[in-house]
Amino acid sequence: MAMKGFIRKFKPLEILSEEQFQAIHKATLDVLQNVGIRIEHKRALKLLESHDCQVDYGNMRAKFPPGLVEECLRKCPSSFRVKARDPQKDLIMGGNTIYFGPAPGKQTVNLDTWEPREATRKEAYDGLTILDALPNVHFLPSYTPYFGFEGLPPVMRIPEICAAKIRNSTKWFFDGYSNDCEIFIIQMAQAMGIDIMCSMLASPPLTFYGEAVECAFRMAEAGMAGRVLPGGVCGATAPVTIAGSTVTANAEILAGIVLLQLMRPGMRIEVKDFTYPQNMRTGSPAFANIGVSLHGVVFSQIWRRYGIPAGMTTAYPSSKIPDFQCGYEKAIIALIAALSGINLQLVQGAIHGELTHHPVQAIIDDDLVGMIGRFLEGVEVSDETIALDLIAQVGPIPGEYLSKEHTRKWWRKEQFIPQVADTLTYPEWMKKGKKSCLHYAKEKMEEILAKHKPTPLTESQERDIEKILEDARKFYKEKGML
Amino acid sequence: MKEEILKGLQKSLRDYDQEGCVAGAKKAIQEGVDPLRAIDALTEVIQEVGDGFSRGELFLPDLIAAGATMAGAMAELTAALKKKGLERKSLGKVVIGTVFGDIHSIGKDMVSTLMTASGFSVHDLGIDVKAERFVEAVKQDRPDILAMSALLTTTAKEQKVVIEALKREGLRSQVKVIVGGGAIDQAFASGIGADGYASTAPEAVTLVKSLIGR
Repeated sequence: MAMKGFIRKFKPLEILSEEQFQAIHKATLDVLQNVGIRIEHKRALKLLESHDCQVDYGNMRAKFPPGLVEECLRKCPSSFRVKARDPQKDLIMGGNTIYFGPAPGKQTVNLDTWEPREATRKEAYDGLTILDALPNVHFLPSYTPYFGFEGLPPVMRIPEICAAKIRNSTKWFFDGYSNDCEIFIIQMAQAMGIDIMCSMLASPPLTFYGEAVECAFRMAEAGMAGRVLPGGVCGATAPVTIAGSTVTANAEILAGIVLLQLMRPGMRIEVKDFTYPQNMRTGSPAFANIGVSLHGVVFSQIWRRYGIPAGMTTAYPSSKIPDFQCGYEKAIIALIAALSGINLQLVQGAIHGELTHHPVQAIIDDDLVGMIGRFLEGVEVSDETIALDLIAQVGPIPGEYLSKEHTRKWWRKEQFIPQVADTLTYPEWMKKGKKSCLHYAKEKMEEILAKHKPTPLTESQERDIEKILEDARKFYKEKGML
Repeated sequence: MKEEILKGLQKSLRDYDQEGCVAGAKKAIQEGVDPLRAIDALTEVIQEVGDGFSRGELFLPDLIAAGATMAGAMAELTAALKKKGLERKSLGKVVIGTVFGDIHSIGKDMVSTLMTASGFSVHDLGIDVKAERFVEAVKQDRPDILAMSALLTTTAKEQKVVIEALKREGLRSQVKVIVGGGAIDQAFASGIGADGYASTAPEAVTLVKSLIGR
């Protein structure tokens, strides 16, 4: 058993011709071989050097022979399982399956003023309860639902949020790294008997800081799965063009893959696009710019060809409230991602970029994801669905289909039924106070919080988690960071 | 003739032609154009760029290119001014830089260009600037404003190091310190004892004007 996710039953959307694919692939290998990647980690550089990479220790740059890159790509499994707290919620990444997860935010928002503010501990835990309950949230990413909560010292944010995810959800999750916190993330995963991935994030252009590489070594040594991300902003830390920024992003990821496969051959690796165009007025990432989708579809096509499970850049909106803009931004990005054949996509809950998240938005987005998921399942064509006998039996007017068993059997499979969308008639809508999906989502949030109780940890599991958190606090106190 | 040289200088800045702009500045000096007039001519164009940016007609790539183009010519012209023992009148003097350990220049460059466009005289110390270098510039330039940028949470604390160094040298009361960058917010700025914080480059200009009462 595993988390069901959605299975795409038709060909994925591909926008590169074979010639275009080859040109980008060739240029990527060229960058790896001739420009190289700066890797600020001596042990990693030594490992690369012992596998025929040309290493310049002075500027910490490694150049990768194409043969090594291709060999390491072949060592990556094209599909693999990651274990969740509840075995029925394991993910099997790869193939035609897409899993959706929430898009986290640094802070929450006030639902009346829409202004951002830091979440309380209770809000963070409640947010996880909601995500645990939502049917189309298949896993939880790092920093979810918030990057931390009130009163947490910065170094304890990732460990505490990791513990919160373990306590309030049985779904699979992955996490971030910072200041060696992956030591404690791995310990928590081992205590729970689950798989964890910590992201190995490049610092573009063409650089990995030591911290990311150290985290990768720890993940590999613990037998966990790996996750490599680029992180460029097109026009600032990556070329402004989709083609050029695909080359640098893929060169960064491939360098990460080579390292991980040399550390632990056959290691399970997922890659994620994390590339935004630049907002040319503010210098911030241009969230929800259509460039995100263009880059993502190209990314999806190339990594499917490379045979490695891939995730697309998060469907972060640029809007600040759950309005028309927020809706179309998320819908377009999430739908295109799904059509492109990507394996993981973050959607639910983000309000503005990665700055704000709210459970109410996550509930609205869960309908969006469900709608997309239903589309991916495509159209079943069989004798039963064509229903030739039934059509003959019903015939012209006064024939009808509402009373037929065929309708009762099939309508729920054919349609998607949203949880909080307004689907009323005008008279009903006016009578019920002209409510929108936002009103229904607020009601739904209260309902979930009243009814849904995440499966609690056993006493000994809770002791283990608390002990690891205590060890983390001690570790940072000794380092003078707490 | 001198008018033509100035027009050529302005055109090279409008075209973001860095070499042309430096050559134009050198030519102006050679031909005896008053360096102050040449600086005014360049400032006029930078103001156009700043206004275009504020109106949403020009964007970051324009702002960065204009700033970089002007910098080379300004170096020539201020050196010529110094030789004559002259100084340029401005709304105020600003020393700016990205703190030690941090090599992010874009935000700092935006602020620097918009301040220049608004009539301030800006001394840009660049990126990865050590506390001693900031202190030295405050001693030498006697600026109205010291502006520091930090993008990383790991380098933000360096802004405090600079403020503490200013205190040790007895310079803190002589200069208003403003901070900004991706890792900074108002609470952090207040916490380290800065005089002001702005979240965007145009806000930084407004902030500086209010701090020095212009």
